[in-house]
Amino acid sequence: MLAKIVASVFLFVITFLPRLSLADWAVNMTEGVTDVSRSVYSLHMQIFWICVAIAVVVFSVMLWSIIHHRKSAGAKAAQFHENTTIELLWTIIPIFILIAMAVPATATLIDMYDTKESDIDIQVTGYQWKWQYQYLSEDLAFFSNLATPKEQISNLAVKNANYLLEVDEPLVIPIGKKVRFLLTSNDVIHSWWVPAFAVKKDAIPGFINEAWTQVEEVGIYRGQCAELCGKDHGFMPIVVKAVPYEDYLVWVSDKKTIIAEQEAAAARVWTMAELMEQGEKVYQTNCAACHQPNGEGISPAFPALKGSVIATQDQQAHIDIVLNGKAGTAMQAYAAQLNAVDLAAVITYERNAWGNNTGDLIAPQYIQSLLKDK
Amino acid sequence: MRLWQVIKAVLAAFIGVQSEKNRQLDFQAQTPLPYIITGIILVVLFVLCLVLIVNYLVAF
Ligand code: HEC
Ligand SMILES: [Cu+2]
Repeated sequence: MLAKIVASVFLFVITFLPRLSLADWAVNMTEGVTDVSRSVYSLHMQIFWICVAIAVVVFSVMLWSIIHHRKSAGAKAAQFHENTTIELLWTIIPIFILIAMAVPATATLIDMYDTKESDIDIQVTGYQWKWQYQYLSEDLAFFSNLATPKEQISNLAVKNANYLLEVDEPLVIPIGKKVRFLLTSNDVIHSWWVPAFAVKKDAIPGFINEAWTQVEEVGIYRGQCAELCGKDHGFMPIVVKAVPYEDYLVWVSDKKTIIAEQEAAAARVWTMAELMEQGEKVYQTNCAACHQPNGEGISPAFPALKGSVIATQDQQAHIDIVLNGKAGTAMQAYAAQLNAVDLAAVITYERNAWGNNTGDLIAPQYIQSLLKDK
Repeated sequence: MRLWQVIKAVLAAFIGVQSEKNRQLDFQAQTPLPYIITGIILVVLFVLCLVLIVNYLVAF
């Protein structure tokens, strides 16, 4: 019997011990790629081992006492009421242990909160359910949407490696520069979390929280919203591309050109087929989460657009609700989120898809003129 | 010496440990007022200490 127990303990140890090289262990937290993330990791390990040591001491004493003072060996319980010395000891020793942990933790926290003297400032705004990034010194802003295809989410296609951790437009930052994030939200509380940077900060409507990072290695880092924010909380991932500074500058100017071209495209005449094609894309990315790919919505939270009065009759009301949203509901003001072409396309799409055969074509030029009046 | 006795009682209360002997002594007092006032003063001092430490650390 005893031999059997020893053998199985031995087997257990040799199977699991090699995996104890902690950083490689998938269960442990990541060491990350910044100074701050590394000090968070080492704090975590220090405190973990302190806890292990305390547990070993406490449980050893306890076990030894139980066995040594067992009744069958004739032990008699001591009858005393209190022992001030022991009480003081078990109060003061933990105080010192806590202070020993608080000193390095405070140093790291002070470092994390030091957002001064940043090289680049980026405003991060949480939306249900996507992130917006605004480069404050660059006049550059865009949205970052989930890019995982619906078929993979519904188990109709094989899931890829970055399932639910991929976006259409990643945040791009340069390596070796201090990047400051100003976090806020457009609707409910979200939280911007990238484990590799040890950045996890709440994005709260009406408040601006600050965080910063300085990435050393080129790479793609992924994260998620870390504050339950509604139906698609798990579908608003974060992807950060860290690139050399020169590449970053090229990316900024390319991105600006693309945005300018898209805005210029509003001036030309668009055909029904073009608008429907573009509209479907915009709809699937921005609207389908609530109104559903088939336009039938989710009653009663998100109304159907298929056959709805607004989408089949009142064209002005349709344009108005998409551009300006509806205060106090989940329906956001898309004028601030999409450009004139995408707005015109998605409204045209909604008025002609799923049997809403109104034949209405909303011209991007017209939407552009409405946006200008704002 | 009475003052020292009161301060000791309040500090013991901060830590949460008091010997039976001192407790008996404290409960012979006529009025709890000195204990309450000393308690409030020491709490204020303690908070001020924390504020000072934090300010000192954040100044780095
Ligand atoms: C976060 C969820 C959500 C998303 C995303 C969303 N909507 Fe809505 N939408 C709503 C809700 C909720 C209402 C109902 C508002 C109300 O109470 O009247 C609504 C109403 C509408 C209506 C009016 C429907 C009717 O018949 O009353 C239209 C049109 C509409 N949305 C278009 C869009 C378009 C276009 C998009 C994408 C660009 C979009 N919505 C994205 C939640 C959403
Ligand atoms: Cu969120």
